[in-house]
Amino acid sequence: MPFNRKAHKFSASIGTVEIGTGDKAIKLGGENVMPFYTFDGSMGDGPKVGVEITDLGLDAEPQGVKDYYAGCTSFADIAKKAEAMPGGDFVVLRLAGGDPNGANKSTEELVAIAKEVSDAISCPLVVEGSKNVEKDAELLPKVAQALEGKNVLLMSAKEENYKAIGAAAALAYNQKVGAESAVDINLAKQLNVVMTQLGVSAQSIVMNTGSAAAGYGFDYTISTFDRVRAAALGQDDKMLQMPIITPVASETWSVKESTAEESDAPEFWGPVEERGIAMEVETAVACLVSASDAVILKHPKSVATISEFIKSLM
Amino acid sequence: MALSGIQIFKLTPKKNCKECGCPTCMAFSMKVAQGAKQLSDCPYMSEDALAQLAEATAPPMKTIKVGAGDSEHSLGGETVLYRHEKTFVNKTLYATNLCSCMDDAEIDARLERLPQVDYERIGERMYTEFLNVNYKEGTDAAKYVEIAKKAAAVRPVILSVKDEAVAKAALDAVKDTKPVLNGADASNYEAFCKLAADAGVVLGVSGKDLDELYDTTAALEKLGNKNLILDVTMDTAKATFEAAVQVRRAALKDGDRTFGYPSIVNVNRLTDDKTMQEALVATFTMKYGSIVIVDEMDYAMALPLYGLRQNLFTDPQKPMKVAPGIYPMNGADENSVCLTTVDFALTYFLVSGELERSGVPCNLVISDAGGLSVLTAWAAGKLSATSVATFFQENVESKIKNRTLIIPGKVAVLKGDIEAKLPGWKVIVAPLEAVQLVKFLKDLKANGEI
Amino acid sequence: MAKFVTIGERIHCISPAIRAAFDNKQPEAILKRAKEQLDAGATYLDVNIGPAENNGPELMKWAVELIQGNFDNVPLALDTANKAAIEAGISVYNRSKGKPIVNSADAGDRMSNIDLAAANDAIVIALCSNGPIAADNDERMMHCQNMLEHGMELGMEATDLWFDPLFVVVKGMQDKQMEVLEAIKMFSDMGLNSTGGLSNNSNGMPKNIRPIMDSAMVAMAMMQGLTSAIVNPCDQRLMETIKSCDVLKGNTLYADSYLDL
Repeated sequence: MPFNRKAHKFSASIGTVEIGTGDKAIKLGGENVMPFYTFDGSMGDGPKVGVEITDLGLDAEPQGVKDYYAGCTSFADIAKKAEAMPGGDFVVLRLAGGDPNGANKSTEELVAIAKEVSDAISCPLVVEGSKNVEKDAELLPKVAQALEGKNVLLMSAKEENYKAIGAAAALAYNQKVGAESAVDINLAKQLNVVMTQLGVSAQSIVMNTGSAAAGYGFDYTISTFDRVRAAALGQDDKMLQMPIITPVASETWSVKESTAEESDAPEFWGPVEERGIAMEVETAVACLVSASDAVILKHPKSVATISEFIKSLM
Repeated sequence: MALSGIQIFKLTPKKNCKECGCPTCMAFSMKVAQGAKQLSDCPYMSEDALAQLAEATAPPMKTIKVGAGDSEHSLGGETVLYRHEKTFVNKTLYATNLCSCMDDAEIDARLERLPQVDYERIGERMYTEFLNVNYKEGTDAAKYVEIAKKAAAVRPVILSVKDEAVAKAALDAVKDTKPVLNGADASNYEAFCKLAADAGVVLGVSGKDLDELYDTTAALEKLGNKNLILDVTMDTAKATFEAAVQVRRAALKDGDRTFGYPSIVNVNRLTDDKTMQEALVATFTMKYGSIVIVDEMDYAMALPLYGLRQNLFTDPQKPMKVAPGIYPMNGADENSVCLTTVDFALTYFLVSGELERSGVPCNLVISDAGGLSVLTAWAAGKLSATSVATFFQENVESKIKNRTLIIPGKVAVLKGDIEAKLPGWKVIVAPLEAVQLVKFLKDLKANGEI
Repeated sequence: MAKFVTIGERIHCISPAIRAAFDNKQPEAILKRAKEQLDAGATYLDVNIGPAENNGPELMKWAVELIQGNFDNVPLALDTANKAAIEAGISVYNRSKGKPIVNSADAGDRMSNIDLAAANDAIVIALCSNGPIAADNDERMMHCQNMLEHGMELGMEATDLWFDPLFVVVKGMQDKQMEVLEAIKMFSDMGLNSTGGLSNNSNGMPKNIRPIMDSAMVAMAMMQGLTSAIVNPCDQRLMETIKSCDVLKGNTLYADSYLDL
């Protein structure tokens, strides 16, 4: 008697959000199964991989990232090289320098960089803000305006600033908007509700439900993913059916496993770069097999591996 | 697994004889489901129905024990598919690979490197629990037995071998260490069933696809062997992923007991690329591997993996806690400044990460706050001026000479009280968020305040 | 667990406006009530065309196509004593949003409506009665068992029979209320679905009291495991209570705006 395969089908599915324009536009979401359960149904176009660059240049990047971008002298150069990274589907510009507690770059300067990057590439672009809610409320609408017509995804609208960012990004300039809630599933849903009430269509919203490096409170990340998908697919909860994008690189490259030089690290830890890549890859995989429709990475080896990984499971 | 009334009702004679004391068979079924009546209270339940019910109420997935003495590990026994439903029971364990195709120097080098990855993380020992000893067809059987012996002397082993004679020779040498004999398939299961039973070890079963795996497992159960592990490794990562998920789901959701066993995934057979192995070992930790075999576990692979596993297998109801104590950072000594926060693991990691990045030598002092975050602990009275003062007087003052203490910004209100209760200490209030600590500490240092 | 299913009861031939609409095939009144109920959050709409002895099949087809055509194939409960009309309604029914519900069968004369549901892959509301209200829960559960066995013999999924304990009026049968609630618990323990005309309990009470009493009843009944009810969805207090109970039972995920959804 052969194995009796019981397909676990859902009558609901994850919505589709398109970013970018032309041939290289991509669709996030669209699956009606748990991640990679292709034996139950459809995975849509499959998860996508973003390549992260920042307005801070390359000085603080790990060696392998510096090597990859060697010779680049402008943000346009870096952007082109990021677009060409094997395995990447889109470019992510993180405007980390906007943080008033950090480099505190002006909105004008950052918008100019965003414009330079956007003009240099033809693949879809995601622009991440500074993580400071006041600054982002000012910065991201200006970015949305400057990149009108490019169908970019702006991250992130949070509880404190969704009105400014949601209204500008999605309503005024017809861009896509990321709704960010830090491992709080009720807030994840609420943000989608209030953004929808604002007039932003569900097809314009992507969620970032929280992120962490493996080992660093990642238990909350996993359970949030699991519960969001259980509600979206199992209970047909329309307000949680948005695709999920997860910034991985910005979390994993700051923990000590990825930063401690071999000379400072405990015995046998080995080269720092290998540890950084492993942290990025293993965290990304854990996100992808839980829920993420897109992950944001930065090391060329990680991008190539995760892209290959996705293909091998599709 | 509890049965619903309707499942029981389907098996009753439905004659409403009232001899059980209930007015209807339906009422009886309900009472059985609630535990208020026993099935045996029904005089007309058929043998077949009783057998079906006994089967249905058995645990959905068996717990299998591998290894002997202190090295014994439990596998399986899971009841849910997602960690928020209920705590997972037995965490995924890992194996480094050895093969009869490797030369002696390579085997020895691997065995020498094996104990290097062995450390503690939040109270849990992190190391490679198993060695997989793979027999490559056509290689020297005596050499295989020698490798198995060497391996079994340091770790419980998985004997991945399909040749009956070689398997027997290896088992004769190491059976007392309770290895897994991972070699049964559709072609040899009868012989391997006997080998495993005679040696008293767990038998690993594989198949070229899910159907063959299912049939072979069913056949082994029919021979009376229920001490099994399912090797769900298939030809591709995709097929292996499906097998790992389908096996676990069939057992836990669809009540299919034939697949109610722990699993082995050998990612070493799916790819040679080290980084891809890292991706796959994380995958099969998340998705239902009981033992995952890799080429060789090193720190790069282990650090994120063991962190991930620790997060995945914690009790979702209980916060992870770090042990109270003094944690010196950046080469701190008794003259370095002290900072304090709660024992909630996430807080500890966030704070200690930022402290390390600051490069400023300092002592992070963790006191028992019930595993709660700073504000919650404060609200619950577990982080108070008294608790901090008491901990410092009992555990810190004798060891640290520096008398400056930095407290979390969220409990700035405690500053005066702590100063009153800890005479001789100067208390400084930190910023509200951990990310602001780097700049804060560097500024304090630059100003000569610490 | 699945969300509580509300079946809107306001397209009923007992209302003069609706009766006139059916008599003259005038869509306006029907569409207006359908929209009101859907806006208020009803999942299913009940369509009661009355006995319709002369033109039942034709009338039910017209009503099903009218309502589903205007409201994105909203799922419907087909409510009439005329079996041919129900079958005709199902023949034009679009299942994309849910199976049709046959309203209703009982353990007496109307047992054959279970056969009708089985033959058409429909859900059936099964009244636990063979005419009069059951004397006690032993009798209720006897009817339940008979209908369940009958449905299963015909190959139905047990969950496609929605058992109705028959809610009884407080003014007159106050002492029977807990018994009805206990019956719901028994259905629930069996793993069965349940429904009923919840507002029967408040019949004859002053208008301002009925929403209060109905809300209390639905909360207690949901605690006991009631999975559905036939209600007036325009009763805001009742609907807010149902949404709140769905949150408390984990049937929907909480968000601050949950009442707006």
